[in-house]
Amino acid sequence: MKRFDAGAAAPALDDIREVPTLCPYCGVGCALAYGVDREGIIHYARGRDGASNAGRLCVKGRYGFDYASHPQRLTRPLVRRDEAYPRGPLSAFSRPGASGPRKPGGIVDYAEVLPHFREASWAEALDRVAAGLAGVRDRHGADAVAGFGSAKGSNEEAYLFQKFIRAVIGTNNVDHCTRLCHASSVYALMEGIGSGAVTNVVRDVENAEVAVIAGCNPTANHPVAATFIKQAAAAGTKLLAVNVRRPGLADYAQQYCQIRPGTDVAFYNAVMHVLIDEGLHDRAFVAERTEGFEALREVVARYSPEAVAGITGVPADEIAGFARTLGRAGSAMFFWGMGISQHVFGTDNARCLIALALLTGNIGRPGTGLHPLRGQNNVQGASDAGLIPMYYPGYQKVADATVRARFEGLWGVPLSPEPGLTTAEITHAALEGRIRALYCMGENPFLSDPDVNRVRESLSSLEFLAVQDIFLTETAEFADVVLPASSFMEKRGSYTNTDRRVQLGRPVREPPGEAREDWRIIAALARRLGHDWDYADEAAIFDELVAAAPLYANLSHERLGDNGRWYPCPSPESDGERLLFTERFPIGRGRFVPAELGEAPDLPDAEYPLVLNTGRQLEHWHTGVMTRRSRALDALAPEARVEVHPDDAGRLGIADGDWTRLTSRRGSVQVQAKVTDDVALGTLFLPMHFREAAANLLTSPELDPYGKIPEFKICAVRLERLPEPE
Amino acid sequence: MGDVTLTIDDRTVTVPAGTSVWEAAARLGIDIPVLCHDPRLRPVGVCRVCAVDTGERTLPASCVREVQEGMQVRTDTDEVQAHRRVLTELLLADQPPVSRREATTGHDQLYALARRLGVGTIPWPDGAEGHPRGEDWSSPVIAVDHQACILCDRCVRACDEIQHNDVITRSGKGYATRIAFDLDAPMGESSCVSCGECVAVCPTGALTHRALPAAAAGEGSQP
Repeated sequence: MKRFDAGAAAPALDDIREVPTLCPYCGVGCALAYGVDREGIIHYARGRDGASNAGRLCVKGRYGFDYASHPQRLTRPLVRRDEAYPRGPLSAFSRPGASGPRKPGGIVDYAEVLPHFREASWAEALDRVAAGLAGVRDRHGADAVAGFGSAKGSNEEAYLFQKFIRAVIGTNNVDHCTRLCHASSVYALMEGIGSGAVTNVVRDVENAEVAVIAGCNPTANHPVAATFIKQAAAAGTKLLAVNVRRPGLADYAQQYCQIRPGTDVAFYNAVMHVLIDEGLHDRAFVAERTEGFEALREVVARYSPEAVAGITGVPADEIAGFARTLGRAGSAMFFWGMGISQHVFGTDNARCLIALALLTGNIGRPGTGLHPLRGQNNVQGASDAGLIPMYYPGYQKVADATVRARFEGLWGVPLSPEPGLTTAEITHAALEGRIRALYCMGENPFLSDPDVNRVRESLSSLEFLAVQDIFLTETAEFADVVLPASSFMEKRGSYTNTDRRVQLGRPVREPPGEAREDWRIIAALARRLGHDWDYADEAAIFDELVAAAPLYANLSHERLGDNGRWYPCPSPESDGERLLFTERFPIGRGRFVPAELGEAPDLPDAEYPLVLNTGRQLEHWHTGVMTRRSRALDALAPEARVEVHPDDAGRLGIADGDWTRLTSRRGSVQVQAKVTDDVALGTLFLPMHFREAAANLLTSPELDPYGKIPEFKICAVRLERLPEPE
Repeated sequence: MGDVTLTIDDRTVTVPAGTSVWEAAARLGIDIPVLCHDPRLRPVGVCRVCAVDTGERTLPASCVREVQEGMQVRTDTDEVQAHRRVLTELLLADQPPVSRREATTGHDQLYALARRLGVGTIPWPDGAEGHPRGEDWSSPVIAVDHQACILCDRCVRACDEIQHNDVITRSGKGYATRIAFDLDAPMGESSCVSCGECVAVCPTGALTHRALPAAAAGEGSQP
């Protein structure tokens, strides 16, 4: 007879403790708990009942947590050896013309790069960084120095980093990767309604009759948010998807409009044309809460669906149908992503969506609102904390003398009145010798900035580069000093998600070796440069941030607790505001800013006949520094694929899995093909995560004039079949 | 709708109409064991472990039975206990001897229930002898052991109703009934996006995390 042995359970999980913290990846900000053993090894992630995730997780949150314990973690400060000058890339992969599938996997080859560095003590490394930054400042002025912070760091780190660049170095040249994702959206929002934050939380989509899903692919990039959108669709919310590449949500959508690349303005202007023409706009809202309607009406009058159909590729009756569904809905939410923002006309694209929301009266009520989906876990917070060249913490202008005087009082130092340079401007300026020193915390511009060849030259031309990170990144190959920093798993700090919810992350393990928490490194550098920075802990830094940025009033580490709060938070007891601008906008009335259809700088011709679109895929994260070192995520998606439409593939003689060469006016990569009709005829899609097929070798460095965001979404390319990789 | 007042184990409780007996009991702090139900999911009443005595001819599953005015519920009679015990023994009869969930992933609700009921010997034949249901190791992150599956459908509902990925279904008849991915593809080749929600809701060792920590790589993976 069979017996049940109650004691037969394996003891593997006996000593596990659960640490309540957050997912380190996207802007959804899922609350989770890690099951950690005595050695600090994480065994599993369990979703907690957070405001944005209700216990749900996606593959990155559930299985992508082991990067922090990867054997390649930096454990001691590194100093570039004298023989490794003149400065340049150290691995074959990062050298000019070197992109190609020479080796499996894509992370930096330590065997190749590490011998060019020697280990150093913290004292020596910090001395060198302090001397490197101060030396350039003293010789060339503070504006010859720049800092890149990170949207993956905490609010405390972002605050301290921008304060270091501003108060210790003396320049406003401080920026971070928001510049590469939603800078144009934020510009348009500040201009249109006076606030760059989302007006409503994702989960309110359950109260929306219609949700516009514009230029975003939430099932891959905000997967847990996508589950709530799909849930709403199942309960009757009509999804209207607009994109050049078919998003996963199209399967759940009432209507999917596949527009041609770069024609968003024409499409949305035509939708507004129909709304006004058929009287479907919200006259009362327009009259009471907006200004500039006549100017908008004049512009959109020229964009009839018939006039625009040929431009967008969407038939006139479908555009009209879209407008009617939207116009007749009692409530509508607008979600958008990089497909809107990452263009030289990204600000115009966002202006159209804001105008559409104002025109239909869909801001300030449940089930309505504007929601640019934030990419990284702390994009919102890093911007709030002032990692932006023109704003102090809380979006207070550096050019405003009254504001500046207040910050000079708060920080006890004189501050520069000149707005600083943005990320791509900094790389451009380095080429011209205007920027000579860079302090780079947790960013990897070598792969994340457009036109890698230009970035390579730019990084090579610096007089001094300090990189503070958890791994040797492609950017660190150029560094004079590499400082071993803390991963998300090793620090305490607050993070502000796409819903404006400020939540606490907690340490689950110790930094490896001599690696240190980022805020301690920044503070140590400030002290070396003669500033008395003596913070007791992260909570004290947060308190100073709250004092500097009234936006975060009534918040403190203690009050954030296990589940966080939304900002603005009207009282210490409040959970914060889910929904903003119910009565008025920060600028009073919302402003219609009409936009005309622009033209991308890098259009196809006979030599480069296809349009390349770049973006993310579900299993990977940005430049792959974390996810390609996660065993599970790497196993699920080990290689890059360029997506090709079946008809284009047939014409070019390319079959699924074939090797191809993809060439733009700036560079060339070798990559395997994936034949799929998710992409439109004449267009391609390449994920940005893989250095061996670096999408940004191909992209154009042209910038949007307002948001200064690069054109990542449209670049003319040629695709050829390769018999085998070279 | 209005409220309904009933008695559970001699304690009176008033709940909104439409509440299940299981939820009403939970409100009183009475823990009725259940395997197929999760408060986040639509209850389906397939495991029958949560059956209670409502004075009717048979024992209804409390997770799907709505409260009625004046209902008298007993959750711990000898008959209820015997019913739970037999069901648990039957479910255990063809389970693997060690819970892979407890070894790799966390709490195994079936094994925990067996311990709570003091199950030792299992007086039922092991249906698995000569009829193994098979395993699926095609996903790098999720291990599927059909032998440990009790067909509670929690994974199916979680995939459909929580994550809306609509990947998991059922396939086969009788003892050969199994959960399946898409049109019975190996999980690693199916449209599964590896969100792990199915693992999170599975009450047994049927769907478990493959070992992830670098230190443990190799352990808990395919034998």
